[in-house]
Amino acid sequence: MKKGNNITGKYQHFLKAQKIDYLTTKAYQILLLMVFVVIWEVLTKVGIVDPFFFSSPSRICITFVDLVKNGNLLQHMLITLYETFLGFIIATVLGTLIAILLWWSKKTRDVLDPYIVVLNSLPKIALGPLIIIWVGAGMSSIITMCVLISIVITTLSMLSSFLSCDEDKILLMKSFGAKKYQILTKLIIPYSIPDFMSVLKINVGMSWVGIVMGEYLVSKAGLGYLIVYGSQIFKLDIVLTSTVVLCVLACIMYGIVSLIERKFKR
Amino acid sequence: MDKYLELKGVHFNYFTRKSEFNAINNLSFCVDRGEFISIVGPSGCGKTTILSLIAGLYEPTSGEILLEGKKINNIDIGYMFQKDQLFEWRTIYKNITLGLELKDRSCINKERDRIDCLLKKYGIFDFKNKYPRELSGGMRQRVALIRTLAVKPKILLLDEPFSALDYQTRLDLCDDVKRIITEQEQTAILVTHDISEAVSLSDRVIVLTKRPAEIKQDIKLDFTTDLTPFERRKDVNFSNYFNYIWRTLNEER
Ligand SMILES: Nc1ncnc2c1ncn2[C@@H]1O[C@H](COP(=O)(O)OP(=O)(O)OP(=O)(O)O)[C@@H](O)[C@H]1O
Ligand SMILES: [Mg+2]
Repeated sequence: MKKGNNITGKYQHFLKAQKIDYLTTKAYQILLLMVFVVIWEVLTKVGIVDPFFFSSPSRICITFVDLVKNGNLLQHMLITLYETFLGFIIATVLGTLIAILLWWSKKTRDVLDPYIVVLNSLPKIALGPLIIIWVGAGMSSIITMCVLISIVITTLSMLSSFLSCDEDKILLMKSFGAKKYQILTKLIIPYSIPDFMSVLKINVGMSWVGIVMGEYLVSKAGLGYLIVYGSQIFKLDIVLTSTVVLCVLACIMYGIVSLIERKFKR
Repeated sequence: MDKYLELKGVHFNYFTRKSEFNAINNLSFCVDRGEFISIVGPSGCGKTTILSLIAGLYEPTSGEILLEGKKINNIDIGYMFQKDQLFEWRTIYKNITLGLELKDRSCINKERDRIDCLLKKYGIFDFKNKYPRELSGGMRQRVALIRTLAVKPKILLLDEPFSALDYQTRLDLCDDVKRIITEQEQTAILVTHDISEAVSLSDRVIVLTKRPAEIKQDIKLDFTTDLTPFERRKDVNFSNYFNYIWRTLNEER
């Protein structure tokens, strides 16, 4: 809003309309979720859909409470969260550092180019068994899996962001006698902050994928483990409950990153 | 008078994977201290290339470029581009002090008074804590000019700095830029394909041929000294010069 210079009735009208627009969108979103939940519940109650295979909202709630009480759900959550957070941080930091290195040295960039392309198109899950052998079955191989999945895309996105900086801006810096590290710190990095924020958002999703995949392969704890365990003993309630918990956690993490992004946009 | 900037028999070839082509051919001219010259020429004739050479971005294939008798260095020059190239994440003040900050942090404090003086004189002081996106296109170009002048470059290169602006803003800005450059006794080279801009702003106009660029004409403009660019446009000499340059540009070699 502009600094309170004569707000006209029409403007207030406009603000109101905007607010209503926003609220109705939100309302529909919530409604959609509720309708989905209700239909799911009703279909399983009536028996059109077998709750043994598809569970149901009420059964998920019951399972949730049960798992918290008797199944250490909280601990599984914490373990997965911890792994995801670590994987996310390592992949983002390392990926960005590599991108900086590649920006710095054109030769390195050119030499490594084909390898990065191959790494990017390689389905990282294929490396799973190797990672387990090399790194050992445990949390470290789960995190390695996660890092592998998001690091290449982080490096590629950040590098392309660095390189998209206007040549004239670099020329301007040079005409001020800027050294290369000054071009990096005063121009390239601040210029790429918005892209870095989108990379963060992408990495949130990627890390969850990586961690859950890693947990499928090796773990003895965590939400991914719970999902595999549930399907092995054919308790699909456990599988779906864990999935819902995963969804919620991923959303929260995404929300936090969005908040950080808004801070930077001012 | 001693020569300030001197280009001596400058040749420049672009090398691409497929071929080598001659962009600049045997170019020689001088610019005096405090002089404002314009370079006009057909599109793609190599105007930007000449500025890049003067800026030390490329080495001439042969020939040399001297500033005060010494080989030119890229920190001697200031550049003003078609787009203002302000840094969106910095305030106007921080944008303007960028050059000083890069050279030596301590001199920001020493030069603070001079910078404030520049800001006040050219109507930017009130905006100094705003961000570039809050300013109009013309205002942004003014800031870009002050940013360049803040480091006192020995020579100012302007590469079509007005072409991204609408006509009205362009006329206003021309007047301001000319005034600022004259007051700061800044030596400047303007590249443009707008003949009227060249005639209204400069002391001398160099007309180039099609690529490879050679000098076709070097025309000294003789106006009553204190005309602003806008007043020059209404002067009788203006249309004479305009027509003359226009004919020169278009005639076959
Ligand atoms: N980096 C480059 N490599 C190869 N050729 C180039 C390069 N930069 C420019 N050229 C070519 O050199 C010629 C002169 O280019 P230049 O940009 O100097 O022209 P210009 O007079 O500034 O043109 P315009 O009026 O369009 O700005 C053009 O034919 C252009 O295609
Ligand atoms: Mg050009």
